[in-house]
Amino acid sequence: MDLLVQILLNGILLGGLYAVMALGLALVWGVLNIVNLAHGAFIMLGAYVSWHLYTYLHIDPFLGLPITAVVMFAVGYAMQRGLLNLVVRAPMFNTLLITFGLEVVITYLAQMAFSADFRTINPSYAGNSIQFGAVVLPLARLMAFGVAIVLTVGMWLFLLHTKLGRAIRATAQNLVAARLYGVEPRHLYAMTFGIGIALAGAAGGLYGTVSQINPYIGATLTAKSFAIAIIGGLDNPLGVIVGGLFLGIIESITALYIGPTFADVASFGVLVLVLIVRPSGLLGKTA
Amino acid sequence: MTALRTLLILVALAILAAVPWFGSDVLVQFGINALLLAVLAQGWNIIGGYTGYASFGNSVFYGLGSYGVGIAMVQWELPFTAGLVFGVVLAVAFAVLLGIPVLRLRGHYFAIATLALAQVMTAIVSNVKLAGQNIGLVLPPLNNDALFYESALGLLVVATLTVFWLSRSRFGFGLIAIRENEEGAAVMGVNTTLYKVLAFALSGVFSALAGGIHAYWVTFIDPESAFDISLNVKMIIMAVFGGPGTVLGPIVGALSLSAISEFLSSEITSIAGLFFGVVVVAAVVLMPRGLADMLRRFRKSGWRYFAENIRAHRL
Repeated sequence: MDLLVQILLNGILLGGLYAVMALGLALVWGVLNIVNLAHGAFIMLGAYVSWHLYTYLHIDPFLGLPITAVVMFAVGYAMQRGLLNLVVRAPMFNTLLITFGLEVVITYLAQMAFSADFRTINPSYAGNSIQFGAVVLPLARLMAFGVAIVLTVGMWLFLLHTKLGRAIRATAQNLVAARLYGVEPRHLYAMTFGIGIALAGAAGGLYGTVSQINPYIGATLTAKSFAIAIIGGLDNPLGVIVGGLFLGIIESITALYIGPTFADVASFGVLVLVLIVRPSGLLGKTA
Repeated sequence: MTALRTLLILVALAILAAVPWFGSDVLVQFGINALLLAVLAQGWNIIGGYTGYASFGNSVFYGLGSYGVGIAMVQWELPFTAGLVFGVVLAVAFAVLLGIPVLRLRGHYFAIATLALAQVMTAIVSNVKLAGQNIGLVLPPLNNDALFYESALGLLVVATLTVFWLSRSRFGFGLIAIRENEEGAAVMGVNTTLYKVLAFALSGVFSALAGGIHAYWVTFIDPESAFDISLNVKMIIMAVFGGPGTVLGPIVGALSLSAISEFLSSEITSIAGLFFGVVVVAAVVLMPRGLADMLRRFRKSGWRYFAENIRAHRL
């Protein structure tokens, strides 16, 4: 029983991190209609920004997250403004393909710049944990979970209550009408993509504190982010929390009862099943 | 015009077929790889180019073909051709069993579902005892590169003739109709599910045969390399670069990109992978309909061709 509780808690802590990974992907997908296959590569870049800040400037990975997010925002804004805005009206397959190409480019550049070695962000408190009876909660994972929830809820409030957030939602619903109300689409698309990539960067920073990083983690993280966005649906940022927790718990349970190599099989199996049964997401509206 | 073109193609084919007699060993080995990649690109062309379903899972067929040959030759001690047949059976079974549910999905959803399937296969095969788990299988060696070269070339010819038949048959028109407007196609009496599954299976057959030939040639297969997802990247990029939905485009794309990539990797090793990424980004922006379309229209509009493509799709 204690074991099951522990596994569920591990899954929930992992799920919070998964939620913030998928948040940026869901935002960009929902608003710009671009499925960003380079999303995981941006998470990886964010992890490396955080790693450099920690290793060379000794900035705590959690305190350094805003810096990582700002750096990645700039990268994302420039990417959308300079490149992706050129193809947003092309058929969906083309945007899928161009982000696929970007993923390859970013991964190779990262491999050249950072080498293929595994890196970890290990602050002094990384080994600490909090104990409740027989259940152990690692401190770094707990903090990462807390930040992830704050970011996701913050994103939700931002979209609901700020001028920029309303402009983003308006654009997602109807680009022409939003334009008539004074939205500058090129800037707004770039802002949205920038925010999405900033979230990916922050997720990467958190990922680096709980797991090893190398230049090749991107593709799997993209697929997982996609699975979470599908499970949660694109209508509401809080959906990704549900999706993230769901996936985190499934992976933890599979890893324990069937075997660690099957954790990814389980998550992608769930993805395919959900796609087949309910393409609009478990929480999404039925078509 | 048609006669001239047929003649040109036959001459090119004859030169390609003669390569093992006058080319160096390195050239023949490069040729085997390039021809097999061209088969993969041509196979992808059937489901991705003609039917409009962007499959990111064709590497699964390739892996099943490799393992069909591997299992048949190592575990059951059957001849190579029996292994190829077994690989094709596996690929067709996969295309039908998973194609029926997955081909109901459209656009992004189909692409990602196939990508997820491709990622799952490595983990699954690593746990199958018959397939040698994650250690893989070692096939009996056959030191005859000329034979592998000619079979790869023969396979490419068959695949291309199939696509040529598609481009002028009722079945092929049905696939194009599905690509252009699936509801419309259904209303016109096309059995869309049947057509899509058949196209998926047909594309799988050629990928599986390519995988089988490759497995016997390199004499070693393991889950990581047989179900290598980056192979999907290559075949899609080659087909799209050359011209998806055309008969010769994928071959031109595969052979030209293989040659450039081979040249780059002999000069600077790590640049070759980067090159594919840059090519696909540039191709999507500048010539989204591929080399074939560019060559056709470049004569008329010149450099403005690229500007027109950007203007058509930018925000």
